[in-house]
Amino acid sequence: MTLKNGVAPAWRTPVVIGVAALAVLALGSVVLPTFLVNNLIRAFLYAALALTVDLLWGYTGILTFGQSAFFGIGAYAAGLVFTHAGFSLPLAAGALAAGLVCAWLVSRAIGWLAFYHGASPLYASVVTLVLPIVLVQGIYSGGEFTGSSSGLSGFDSFDVPLEAWFFIAGAFLTVVAVIAWLFVRSDAGRLLVAIRENESRCEYLGIDVSRYKARLMDVCALVAAAAGFLFACVQMVVAPEYAGFVFGTELVIWVALGGRGSLLGPIVGALLIDVGSAYLSGNLPYIWTLLVGIAFVVVIVAMPRGLAPLAANALRRAVPRKRRIAPVAVSFVAAPARERERDDAQSPQAALSLRDVQKHFGSLKVLDGISFDAHAGELLSLIGPNGAGKSTLMRCIADGAQRSGGTVEIGGAEIRKLAPYDCVALGVGRKFQTATVFESLSVAEALRIARYRLAPPAKWQRDTTLELPQPALDVLRLTGLDKIPERECRYLSHGQKQALELAMVLALEPRTILLDEPTAGLTKQERTQIGAIFVALATRYRMCLLLVEHDLDFVREISSRIIVLHQGRIVMDGGVDEVVNSELVRAVYAGESHSDAASTEGGA
Amino acid sequence: MLNLGLDVVTTAAILFIVSTGLLLVFGVMKIINFSHGAFLTTGGYASVIVTQAGLSWWWGIPCALAIGFVLGMAVERFIVRPLYARPLDAILATWGLGIIVGQIITLVFGRGVQMVESPVTGALAVHGAQYSAYRLILVGVALVIALALGWLLNGTRLGLQTRAVIMNEALARGLGISSTRVRFMTFCTGAALASLAGCLITPLASVDPNMGVPWIVGAFMLVLVAGSSLVNLAVASAVLGGAQVLVSTFINPVLGGLTIAVLAALLLRIRPEGFARG
Repeated sequence: MTLKNGVAPAWRTPVVIGVAALAVLALGSVVLPTFLVNNLIRAFLYAALALTVDLLWGYTGILTFGQSAFFGIGAYAAGLVFTHAGFSLPLAAGALAAGLVCAWLVSRAIGWLAFYHGASPLYASVVTLVLPIVLVQGIYSGGEFTGSSSGLSGFDSFDVPLEAWFFIAGAFLTVVAVIAWLFVRSDAGRLLVAIRENESRCEYLGIDVSRYKARLMDVCALVAAAAGFLFACVQMVVAPEYAGFVFGTELVIWVALGGRGSLLGPIVGALLIDVGSAYLSGNLPYIWTLLVGIAFVVVIVAMPRGLAPLAANALRRAVPRKRRIAPVAVSFVAAPARERERDDAQSPQAALSLRDVQKHFGSLKVLDGISFDAHAGELLSLIGPNGAGKSTLMRCIADGAQRSGGTVEIGGAEIRKLAPYDCVALGVGRKFQTATVFESLSVAEALRIARYRLAPPAKWQRDTTLELPQPALDVLRLTGLDKIPERECRYLSHGQKQALELAMVLALEPRTILLDEPTAGLTKQERTQIGAIFVALATRYRMCLLLVEHDLDFVREISSRIIVLHQGRIVMDGGVDEVVNSELVRAVYAGESHSDAASTEGGA
Repeated sequence: MLNLGLDVVTTAAILFIVSTGLLLVFGVMKIINFSHGAFLTTGGYASVIVTQAGLSWWWGIPCALAIGFVLGMAVERFIVRPLYARPLDAILATWGLGIIVGQIITLVFGRGVQMVESPVTGALAVHGAQYSAYRLILVGVALVIALALGWLLNGTRLGLQTRAVIMNEALARGLGISSTRVRFMTFCTGAALASLAGCLITPLASVDPNMGVPWIVGAFMLVLVAGSSLVNLAVASAVLGGAQVLVSTFINPVLGGLTIAVLAALLLRIRPEGFARG
């Protein structure tokens, strides 16, 4: 593949294949037998619908039973208008518009219900399950107007021959598939996978995941409604079953069998099963459904990725050739320094300021009256025995909804009840205790997700360069990650994952970094290396680092200040030597009686 | 007025009976068993088999319990066990199982509706009002099921282990409790309860290969709202079932059919933990 201007022509392959598909369609409309043409029209529209389920569930992890409802909305918009107002071109355009608007409004309502910070994935599924049930009951109770349980039929529609519908439906599927292809392969599209793999990490990278999911659902709803409109136009019949949740589950079955998280799999799955039923359900009325059911269960249990990878592997073995999608070589370059950083370095304001922060679970007080300031250039270590509340404190700084009382200011701005992604915007980055990266993304892709907030990636292509701030580049260079941008995260060593997560946090250009046991599980050498990085971040880049650590020697070497936490309170706050050599710390760490520690507390 | 009150109580009892099996499985295994509907159907057909064999309807109860339990053993071992780590996939696989069961029943019994003669006909006079005797019996049955489950969980060794697994599975395993065995027993009991419920509702509803489907969404919603407590389930059944009866009576039956699903979805949006710790 040739490269022009350093940018891979990502659009070329999908568009060429799309055009080829259109040519095949044109040919097929002439040569294929009428019965097959008839069934394929319906199957094409179903396949487009299955693609939206795949985008939502296969790529992003939102298990939806409700795409049938949007399909039904589009279909009923056409059916109702054509039945009650008659058919004409302007009316048809109006019906399409009405269907799209309705679907969009419903999708907004569903998005508001299903996606909010902290919502469980099960709840989103519940909401998408309730939607078609409500819609179908609405259709039932519509009486004459909606045709109740028998639906609407016998209305006029476009006077177009079957062969033309075949082409139109096929072209619709092709266009949806090509656009979906371009999007999921683009830099922005990788976010879908990132959300599926680790939603919480995405939120702590400053991405409003709920909003993104809701937008995705809006788009999928519009595509489904358009498919439903075409369906009503060509079949000249609409029925409640097409909006029902059983149809919604069938869509999921097709996607699961074809292969979730691939685009071709669900298309092939939908086409084969739907056309297969048309041919076989006559001869084997219940056996066919039984076989599909068995195949579905077997695939879910034993082959979660569906039949697509199986077919792909078989093909690769049969026709050995070079990988079709050559990985785009990504090089990391320095991002221009932002004005902001220079301003902050000089500002006398505290980078982080806590006042009387409380956290309790019921009557159990985990944090009690925590107050301290931390400034740019400080490397502040939080130490204390297990259960002292260190990790809880970190959470309370990075997520406004966590604490029970008190105020937290980041760079002078109060975090109120802000969600993690808004706290990131205020300038705080959090590295988790266990390295959390996106297992099936490459190193470069993971870093690009981290840059999503500051430098939105290209929507329809893949860039060959990635701009990163200097501190992130330093970490990548020191750990050798800059040499393996294409390596999938799952193949990284534990130390490399820790370093990558740190680089991702640094890519956010935070002014304050929260590091929860960043050296856990690292070798001695890696530990020294990462310690040097921390010192450089504080001294050279004037960041404020808040570090939770158990290793006192490590803390002593790198910290500029230490806070000792015990039973949810600050028992000591001071310089390194002062704290490390104090009786109190020895008492706390040696596990001597708590009353000892508490009595010394007054003097601290 | 009294009639309405009895409607609320009996509806709550029926919902409770239909949902307990699902609740047990959700509480212990943290997965939604969508084949619950299939087990309901199985239980319904158990009573069909029994009455067609000329036996009294009451024989359907032990028969349904046994069939449900045995079927549950196979399902747990081959379908549910591999999916503990993938709860959303477990929903799908159990839904697929529901399709399989429905088709097999269709192949054996045909697609048509089977009628089962009600074991108790007629009405009882309650304070001057006439009310279906069978619905009133179900209130007693719901109480018996609740007490039996309460005893199983609080009075037996397996119950103690089950509660330990509900509270903290990792710790329970660390203490030498075989969580695999607890889950296995739980699933089989849940399946048996679902099958029993299917048998018990036959005098009220028609028996057909898809009879479980309308029930499962309501049961699913009640369980999500109730979390993992039998008491909460009783409260949820009474509140949401009561709302359903009121809406059906005073507004319209179609809306009534949607009450549980819509109310539960909204309730969970406002209070994700449902009635738990309420």
